Parts: sequence; structure tokens; C-alpha cells
Amino acid sequence: MSPIPVLPLVINGCMSALGSLATLKLIPAFKDHFISARLYGMDLNKTNKKEVPESQGVISGTVFLIIMFCFIPVPFLSCFVEEQCTGFPHNEFVQLIGALLAICCMIFLGFADDVLNLRWRHKLLLPTIASLPLLMVYFTNFGNTVIVVPKPFRLLLGMHLDLGILYYVYMGMLAVFCTNAINILAGINGIESGQALFISGSIIIFNLLELGGDYRDDHIFSLYFMLPFFFTTLALFYHNWYPSSVFVGDTFCYFAGMTFAVVGILGHFSKTMLLFFIPQVVNFVYSLPQLFHVVPCPRHRLPRLNPDTGKLGMSWSKFKRRDLSKLGKLILEVAEMLRVLEVKRGQEGDDEFVECNNMTLINLVLKILGPTHERDLTTIMLLIQVLGSVLAFGIRYHLVRLFYDV
Amino acid sequence: MSPIPVLPLVINGCMSALGSLATLKLIPAFKDHFISARLYGMDLNKTNKKEVPESQGVISGTVFLIIMFCFIPVPFLSCFVEEQCTGFPHNEFVQLIGALLAICCMIFLGFADDVLNLRWRHKLLLPTIASLPLLMVYFTNFGNTVIVVPKPFRLLLGMHLDLGILYYVYMGMLAVFCTNAINILAGINGIESGQALFISGSIIIFNLLELGGDYRDDHIFSLYFMLPFFFTTLALFYHNWYPSSVFVGDTFCYFAGMTFAVVGILGHFSKTMLLFFIPQVVNFVYSLPQLFHVVPCPRHRLPRLNPDTGKLGMSWSKFKRRDLSKLGKLILEVAEMLRVLEVKRGQEGDDEFVECNNMTLINLVLKILGPTHERDLTTIMLLIQVSTTGLISDRENSL
Repeated sequence: MSPIPVLPLVINGCMSALGSLATLKLIPAFKDHFISARLYGMDLNKTNKKEVPESQGVISGTVFLIIMFCFIPVPFLSCFVEEQCTGFPHNEFVQLIGALLAICCMIFLGFADDVLNLRWRHKLLLPTIASLPLLMVYFTNFGNTVIVVPKPFRLLLGMHLDLGILYYVYMGMLAVFCTNAINILAGINGIESGQALFISGSIIIFNLLELGGDYRDDHIFSLYFMLPFFFTTLALFYHNWYPSSVFVGDTFCYFAGMTFAVVGILGHFSKTMLLFFIPQVVNFVYSLPQLFHVVPCPRHRLPRLNPDTGKLGMSWSKFKRRDLSKLGKLILEVAEMLRVLEVKRGQEGDDEFVECNNMTLINLVLKILGPTHERDLTTIMLLIQVLGSVLAFGIRYHLVRLFYDV
Repeated sequence: MSPIPVLPLVINGCMSALGSLATLKLIPAFKDHFISARLYGMDLNKTNKKEVPESQGVISGTVFLIIMFCFIPVPFLSCFVEEQCTGFPHNEFVQLIGALLAICCMIFLGFADDVLNLRWRHKLLLPTIASLPLLMVYFTNFGNTVIVVPKPFRLLLGMHLDLGILYYVYMGMLAVFCTNAINILAGINGIESGQALFISGSIIIFNLLELGGDYRDDHIFSLYFMLPFFFTTLALFYHNWYPSSVFVGDTFCYFAGMTFAVVGILGHFSKTMLLFFIPQVVNFVYSLPQLFHVVPCPRHRLPRLNPDTGKLGMSWSKFKRRDLSKLGKLILEVAEMLRVLEVKRGQEGDDEFVECNNMTLINLVLKILGPTHERDLTTIMLLIQVSTTGLISDRENSL
């Protein structure tokens, strides 16, 4: 097995650190350009009506791309300088370029979405388009669609299962899922950049742990992307943390989601990566009734500020009882019984009204803890993210024996 | 030498045609999104104040990318299906992906420029950033920096000359030049998309002619990019032609310039490609005094509408005589003597004023022909584009 390429990793680390400083400086420097371009929002949970620049993910994303463009020849330097490689590793090179193409395209389409305010169906289409080069590269480089069947299913499906085209569907969906899962766990200062920061930090730790394993090259590849991502996002997080002086925009959610999907797919550890997404998965599942409009879904589901106490409380969805389908009624009753949903019922005039809290993980935390200050709430959400990662490591390194032979 | 890959070219052609139809439909479909996003302009040469959607190059560029993404495995299908290749041609695959990365990045940065209105120094920086992957791919794939010295210089420099890092500087500058050269030959309906359309058409013809030559693979590679570019730009041209219902934006100029630079560099025919840019080069050289502010340069240099006649006339740059440097005065006198510049001198109060026409190729054509209707003027500019191509083909064939 090849030795750990220390020099490329060190160079990558240094470039990432520089990129972090650059992002830190560039974000305030371009503030006026964004305001003039009307790319700003009002912080709905603040009493002031200051214009906050939006879509700052485009800045951290561009710095990320510049770092990666300059880094492209570095892993292959030993081939040119010392001629220490037996034939140029073209397939690794292709992988690197193909991954960058998917990420670059995603940042572009994400920024176009922020600017042009495209519709929800586009939010599913854009990541699919951007992951096309990834799928094509995978097809030409590996083409492997055989998976190892988890132990509980082996009697039924056998040891190995060739998913064929379903494997590509899975890869395409992974990008769609990751981007949108980050996008919907949102609404309080610093949560989007914060969650991505901690997920990438977890992946970096996982990659470092696996450097001594059998799949070293895959994890080195992942580190080449995760290090610049972590450091540029760190700079963005600094400006996005409470109280936010900038918002990250859908651009950042797209960028983060695609970068995670890329390293998960090409590093062959997508299942482990999804374990780091446990809070996002929980939020997604809990949100499903509203996402499918089985339970009515308002425009914004973020927590509401109580201007008197200065704390955030749950936000609510109010609708007429007769507008609710049978399935909707069932979901409300089950969720209320499981104590994961608060439901209020009342009468206004001739109509019976029902109110339930918006079905987001943030609201669920507020239900349990009661009204909380925004900064504390984000801190708690990020702690949940860390706990989720700890749980993920536990599953990956211990419970995994229940599913696979290691 | 490998046979001509007919099937991939046919597939590429069909996908390009479909892309053309898609672009044709998508441009009007997204009009409202662009207006809401305040990405619109007013046509300065029309009397009405209609809002015209801007940056439509982002739509043709995105359709181009989708076509190319779907096309990625096609040139290599024979390797999978029939197993007809002796080892997968990784370097060709890398070239394709690397080229797409440069173009995709350029469309992105170009759109960011349109949205955020970045400064002029950024217009030089952005193409350089976007061409980095191209340079890296070239470095790892070929690394060849040796050129064949043109005959007149051989006594001095020898047969071959290793430019070393200068070759990479040249490649980087090529992208910067192509993008901005298209960007400054602008201002009348349909000229930006039109010039790019005719340049790509010329490159396609050149590629087809060279398919029988020694560098077939390079020209096939170029066709894979030029065909989708031509057809998506055709759809854009349809909406951009006089009277423009959409504007292409800087996005398109960046997109076009980078695509040309990519095929020129990786297809190893950048010198020939620059020959197709003769009108752009002439416009650039003529513009130099104003670009460097030796002669004062106003915000817009496009021709001016005469509302009474409905025709376009030259636009002017007016400034005080004493604000002009010695070099500026010299340039004005030489240009006036060569009859390529019209200069008016006058007095207003205590100051002597000088007026000269803005130094663009379009203004020069107006100087020669006199006031012209906008549609005719664009047609003439595009005819100039075609005739220089004809000149080159003639020269190439006669050699």
C-alpha cells in the first residue's frame, strides 16, 4: 500500500488556512456589492431592520474552488519531480477533476437559485444536474454497482447484490438529499454554517482514523476536499455566528451538500457519512408531513421571537380542521401521543381551528426546553450535532459488527 | 490513425440540436425571474423604456453544460460496449472533464460579475482563475512548452523554442483576451451573440476541414465543444437579434471567450483561432488608448441614436484640451491624419474643448458609412466577421 502523502496533505492544510484568512477578509469587503445587487435579507428574529448580505456561501465557495484549482497538480508532483510513480495515475486525476466539476457546477446553480429565486422543483433538479459529471466519472472509473449486503438481509438477498442502475440513482439522490437536508435545518443564526462545519470536522476525524486502514487512498482523497471546506466554512461561520452579520444563502447549502456527497461517493463511505447526518435525517423525517403538505406548511418555519423576553419560542402552523385530510389527522394524533408535537384546538366563528408547532427539530428542542435565547439555541443544536457524530462513531466502530464483517 | 468517430459526433449533433430548442424555450420562460431579480437593462438605443432581461448567457451556458455532462461518456462508449480500445484513454477523458471545469467555472464567475457588478480589475482576474484547471490539466497531460519558430525568426531563435512558463502565461492570457475582446465589441443589438456564433461557425468549418489531416483527434475534441456552443448560441441569437428581447450579459462574453480559449489550447490551434478574431483584435487595438485612459473613456462607448432619423451615429468623448497628456495629443493627431479618427475642437468659456469619436470598430464603420440603422449596422459588422474568415480560409488553402 502506498505511504501517506505527507507533503500534499501539509500543502493542502496550509492552502486551506490561507483560504480561511482570505474568506474572513473577503466577506466584509464585498458587503456593498451584495446589498447593491439586492442580495440581502432581514433577520426575522431581530427587532432591527438591518439589511444583512445574503448568499455569502458564494464567497467561501469561490475561495474553496481557487484553493482546489491551485492544489490540482500537488498530489501528483512526485510523478514529475522525482519520477517516483510507475505510470501516471490518470484515474485518480480524473476523480479529482470530476469531483471539482460537480462542486463548481453546484455552487454556480446554487448561486443562480439565490439570485433568480427558482421554484421548489428546481431545488430537486439542480443537484441532480450538478451530480451528472460525478456519475459519469464514477461510471468510467469504477463502474462498480455491487454492494455488500448487511447481515440481517443475507438470508434473503445473499452476500452481494448488484444494484445496477439503482446504484446511480442512489448516488444522484445522495446529492439531492444532502443539499436539501442542510437547507431545511435552518432559521437561527449560525446553524447552517455551524452544522456543515461540525459534519466536515467529523468526516476529517473519520478520515484520519481510517488512514491506517485498508482504504487509505479513499480517505486521503476525502481529506483533500474536507480540509479546504472546513477552513473556508470556519471563516464563514465567524461572520454567520450570532448575531449574524451575513447569511449563507441556499448557495452554501448546495455547496456543502454536494461536497459531502462527492467525498462520500468517491471515497466509498457514503453510509458512514449519512451517520454524521443523523440530526439532519431526524429533522427531515419529522418534517415530512409538512414537506408533502399533508400537514399545512407555512412559508417560514423558523422559531418566533418574543420581543418582550428576547427569547425564541416555537412557531406554529394554523389551519381549519376540515382542511385536514384523514392522514393529516392521524399524523397529528400519533405525534401528539408520542409527545413530539404540541396541538392546540379552538373555535373561531363557524370553523374549528387547529394549531400545531411547525415540525422541525429546532421547534422540537424548543418544545422540550421552553423559550430559549437564540445564541443558546444554536449552541444546543450544534451540541446535538456533536452528539450525533459521537453516536455515529459508536455505530460505525462497534455496532457495525451487527451488520458487516470487519 | 484512429477512424473518425461518426457515432459520437452524430450524438453530439443531435444533443446540440435539442439543446438549441431547449434554450429557445427556456429564455422566454425565465424572463420574469430575471426581471424580479433586477437583472435587466434599458436599451439605450431605443426610445421606449422597456425592461430587457439581462445575463441570458447564463441560460444558454447552463444548457451547454447539461448537454456536455450527458455527453461525457459517449466518446468512450466503444471502450465499454465493444471493448474496442487497448486501455482506457484516460488522458482524453481528463482533457474533456478539465475543459468543462474551466468553462463551468467561467460561466459561474461571469454570472457573479453580472449580478454583483465587479470592478474592471476583476474582469481580468476572473478568467485567469477559471483557466487554472485548464493550465493544470495541460501541465499534467502534455506539459509541452516547445513551439515551432515562425520562419522569419528562425535565424535568430532557431527551429524550436522552449517558452517554459511563458507558454502557461500565454494560455492564461488567451482566456483573458478572448473574453474581454468579445465584451468590448458590443453595444448594438445582436452583436455579441452574433460574433460568437460566426466565430464558432468558422472554427467548426476549420475543424471539419482538418479532419483529414494529421491532428484529427484535436479537431474532433474541438467539435465536441463547438457544436453544442454553436447551437445554444443560435437560440440565444434568435432572441438577441434586432430588436433585442433579451441581452446576453457579460456572462455570455465570458462563456464564449473561455470556450474558444479551451478548444484553441487543448486542440493546439490557438494561432489559427486568433485569426478568426481579427475584427475583435482590430477593435481591441483601436480601443487601447481609451482602455488605458490615455484618451478619456466615457462609461458607454456604444453608438448614439438620433431619435429623429431613427439611425445610429458615432458616439463622442468630450474633454478639456489641457487634461490631455502629450501621448494623448500625439495619438489624436496621428489617428486623425490616418483618417481613422474624427476630431472636433472648440472653445467654451475659458477652456479649449476637444471631442473625438469613441475609438471602437463600430464607430469607425459609422465614420465611413455615415449614420446607419441599427439592424443594418449589426449585419455589416457580422459580414465583416464572415469576410475575415473567408480571407483566412483563402490564405490557408492557397498555402
